Amino acid sequence: MEVEEIKKKIFEVLEKAKGKKKLKEKDVCRIVSEETGVDKEEVKRILRSIIDEGKLCYSYSGGASSVEIPSEEYLKEKGML
Amino acid sequence: MPKKYDTPLLNELEKGPWPSFVTEIKKAAAWNKMAADELGQLEKSYRTRLVYWKHGGIVGVRGYGGGIIGRYSELPDEFPEVAHFHTVRINQPTGWFYSTDALRMTCDIWDKYGSGLTNMHGSTGDMVLLGTRTESLEPIFAEFSSRGWDLGGSGSAMRTPSACIGQARCEWANIDSLDICNEMTQEFQDEMHRPAFPYKFKIKVSGCACDCVAAIARADCSIIGTWKGDIKIDQDAVKWYAKNGTDIQNWIVDMCPTKCMSYDGKELKIDNKNCNRCMHCISKMTKALKAGDEKGATICIGSKAPIVVGSLLSWVIVPFIKVEPPYDNLRALIRKMIEWWDEYAKPRERIGELIESKGMRSFLEYIGVPPVPQQIKEPRKDPFWFFHGDDIENIKKLEAEEKKTGKYKF
Ligand code: SF4
Ligand code: SF4
Repeated sequence: MEVEEIKKKIFEVLEKAKGKKKLKEKDVCRIVSEETGVDKEEVKRILRSIIDEGKLCYSYSGGASSVEIPSEEYLKEKGML
Repeated sequence: MPKKYDTPLLNELEKGPWPSFVTEIKKAAAWNKMAADELGQLEKSYRTRLVYWKHGGIVGVRGYGGGIIGRYSELPDEFPEVAHFHTVRINQPTGWFYSTDALRMTCDIWDKYGSGLTNMHGSTGDMVLLGTRTESLEPIFAEFSSRGWDLGGSGSAMRTPSACIGQARCEWANIDSLDICNEMTQEFQDEMHRPAFPYKFKIKVSGCACDCVAAIARADCSIIGTWKGDIKIDQDAVKWYAKNGTDIQNWIVDMCPTKCMSYDGKELKIDNKNCNRCMHCISKMTKALKAGDEKGATICIGSKAPIVVGSLLSWVIVPFIKVEPPYDNLRALIRKMIEWWDEYAKPRERIGELIESKGMRSFLEYIGVPPVPQQIKEPRKDPFWFFHGDDIENIKKLEAEEKKTGKYKF
């Protein structure tokens, strides 16, 4: 599977969970790996590359960290939009 | 800057003999708008008995999941300068040794981008810089990282390990707490900056049982320096202490927690097999008493502050382990502990809580440590271990191997 397709899948999974469930890095890797057959470690590597680009962010709520698609408002606050 | 708010309630906290955080915020408020609004919002909180901070969220530095704790005011119209008031955690130098240059550099950066308020240090050990805006986070990080500093941990991640001042300044240190802490910090960089754990995990290293970093109460994994063998007694020095006003019977012997000491007015004796190496006597009569030569660490597991469920103290998992560079045994052991916890824990469940719910047997089997009497936390408390037929045989084999090779397994 192409890297771009895996990236798309990662966004799809996070978009679907938005507002319903906070997904940890591990959850994203597991779901994407189950749905695509790509090794979890490879998904993790790609997920982290997206986080490094700033297109995805870690988030923190109630003591637990998760991965989220940043809002436009936040990207503006950061000067990234 | 003229005074912006009257703070009659906060002023009460400046009375008395101790330094006051209110005084320090007022000093910063004289020139920093953020600090001034922080003072105003805090006074309002004392008046209404309500908290006006929103905590958490997505705020951070690109690529990092820890080190920044998002904080927004719920009253941005009333206190606009603290609309954003994020906390930055900087990984402290091990043992908290700073040059004055480093401290000046930190304060200069913080005066430039933040409220000027610091908390040295947070309970995990990091330098805590209080109050900045989202758009300042990347510049702050660039300023620190370009000078060789890094963010600390936060969220469900490995938290910044911390250590006592150890062998750098303390003659009681049985292990090099500084080196161990630094090595563990390097080892777990990924786990610190990319939060992937069920909840927080803290490592603290104390050179001896005096436990100056409170590892026994504040760390999921406590590494505490200890020794094997007899305490070395210099009877001439004991006499010197007695002659110079030390009440050996009352202050030392009677306060030994295991009552394994005796003193006839001339000679001090220790029944070493009953000594639990608490450090009381050594710390009171340092010239007369020295720890045994064979140094190592006790590894304890599971302490935590009372968030989610009640507080826990650590309990002993490995009574004695050699800890010498490159610390491969320690790295492997901690990784195993984390693997087990990561596999079974519910979100926001600390490792100590998981051991209580899932059982010590599962934990010990996974990390490959045999059950030993020292793991029993309290007398008559269920040690969470039901012996199977071959357990005793396995322990005997291990002991025989230790004796033969002189190498300590656990
Ligand atoms: S814990 Fe022990 S070795 Fe470390 S600074 Fe305190 S007294 Fe010294
Ligand atoms: S170290 Fe503690 S337990 Fe051991 S002899 Fe001294 S006071 Fe007693």
